[in-house]
Amino acid sequence: MFSNFITNLKRIIFFGWQSLSRNKGLSFGVIFIMSVAVLLITSLFLFQGFSEFLISEAQKKVDISVYFKKNITPEKIFAVESDLRQTFPKVENIEYISQEKALEIFKEKHKDDTLYLDALKEVGDNPFLASLNIKTNDPNIYSQISNFLGREPTEDLIEKVSYYQNKKVIDKLFSFTNNMKKGGIVLSVILALLIALITFNTVKLTIGSFKEEISTMRLVGASNWFIRGPFLIQGLLYGIISVLIVDIVLFSVLYFLNPKLGNWFLDFNLLNYFKTNFFLLVSVQFIFSVILGVFSSFIAVHRYLKI
Amino acid sequence: MIKFKNVTKIYCSVNSEQITALENVSFDIQPKEFVSIVGKSGAGKTTLIKLLMGEEKLTSGEIFFDGINVSKIKPKELQELRRRIGVVFQDYKLLPTKTVYENVSYVMQVIGTSDIDIKRDIPQVLEMVGLDQRAFNFPCELSGGEQQRLAIARALIHRPEVIIADEPTGNLDVYNTFEIVNLLKKIHNFGTTIILATHDKTIVDSLKKRVIALNEGKLIRDDHNGNFIF
Repeated sequence: MFSNFITNLKRIIFFGWQSLSRNKGLSFGVIFIMSVAVLLITSLFLFQGFSEFLISEAQKKVDISVYFKKNITPEKIFAVESDLRQTFPKVENIEYISQEKALEIFKEKHKDDTLYLDALKEVGDNPFLASLNIKTNDPNIYSQISNFLGREPTEDLIEKVSYYQNKKVIDKLFSFTNNMKKGGIVLSVILALLIALITFNTVKLTIGSFKEEISTMRLVGASNWFIRGPFLIQGLLYGIISVLIVDIVLFSVLYFLNPKLGNWFLDFNLLNYFKTNFFLLVSVQFIFSVILGVFSSFIAVHRYLKI
Repeated sequence: MIKFKNVTKIYCSVNSEQITALENVSFDIQPKEFVSIVGKSGAGKTTLIKLLMGEEKLTSGEIFFDGINVSKIKPKELQELRRRIGVVFQDYKLLPTKTVYENVSYVMQVIGTSDIDIKRDIPQVLEMVGLDQRAFNFPCELSGGEQQRLAIARALIHRPEVIIADEPTGNLDVYNTFEIVNLLKKIHNFGTTIILATHDKTIVDSLKKRVIALNEGKLIRDDHNGNFIF
């Protein structure tokens, strides 16, 4: 019984491979369409990585600065910093900038601009305030931090909080990045469905050309699985070959063009992202293409197994 | 062995017109018989074969094969029944992407024959039908007569109890026709039941075997040592 199963399985696998290699024109057509489908899925995957990179870059640029009144000692500022760290564990970094350091930074930034430096000399005294520069991983807590700083007794120590000045820009940026994430997902799903449908129809048309053969196989007594099996193997092989083609081509393109692509993708390293996420990417590609190939073949053959 | 009992088959055309292909046909075929089913084109010969193979559903009546009611058979049992019958189709129905050798071996692979048995039997059968030199050619590279002989090789390779030949000489010249008929006679001599559907008077008269005549779907004559007469 088991040896019969193994013999049949070997024959089915052989027939699948034989049909693929003998019907080169048809196989080429299906593999081409499926490769396009896999390439699009891969592009969506890379786009997702790129958009995450953009969002994270944008978020890095956002921070909140708290300026303390002139007479506030560094100890009191450090106490506020410690309170902030305890209350908001998601705070990634808090940087203390003393009055002196703020002056240094200003001078360094405008060292070639005599107008600013002259203006500073006019003022005479150090006009800058000590501040805390706060960055978080979660942009949603900026408003909570701002509320926390607005409460007694911290409120009395603070001259101003930059969040209120940048609030509009920050809110717009986060609403844009959120929409970009959601839009990306919706677009990816629509595109994936569209590609799946096109590939399914291509496989269906290809198997349709075997209609007569399938009916002959039925008439000589072949079981449904003996007929269906080779087509499923073919679907599986189409998927595997498409993934191999796409990955080899994509790797070669990225390998040779990566330095030039960096300029287009705002320093996002596509090759590095491809290599780092290679196993996840290949898994996604295989699951997509193999399911698509095997499922399309199954449905297409099923229509002709009723004779 | 095979029993047709009041078999009627009515087809519905596209414009809902009813076409009676077979009407109340009854007859029996015994094991090892050689039966010719004759009649003009459209008399119902092919329908009769399609019903026996389970390719078409009956409108009424019953067909039995070795006690199995073909009209009520389950799909899995139908495939097992088909393995007991070898069919030579009028249009050959060869597998175009398989070679001569593979077309014949496919039937053996379907029934689970071992590779050793396949390698032993196929050269013998191909030699018997005169295709031993064509084993690795594809059907499109064969002549009409060769294709028909391949169809016969495929039908007999697994030693079925019955071989049905539907107009096996319809597309052939006189020389090939008699080659095929002689082949069928040879297979019959080995003890296989043969059902030959044909409208070729010369063949039927030369056989001197049982003749069942159909006309417009009705059985009009069943002669046990017959000639082609209407």
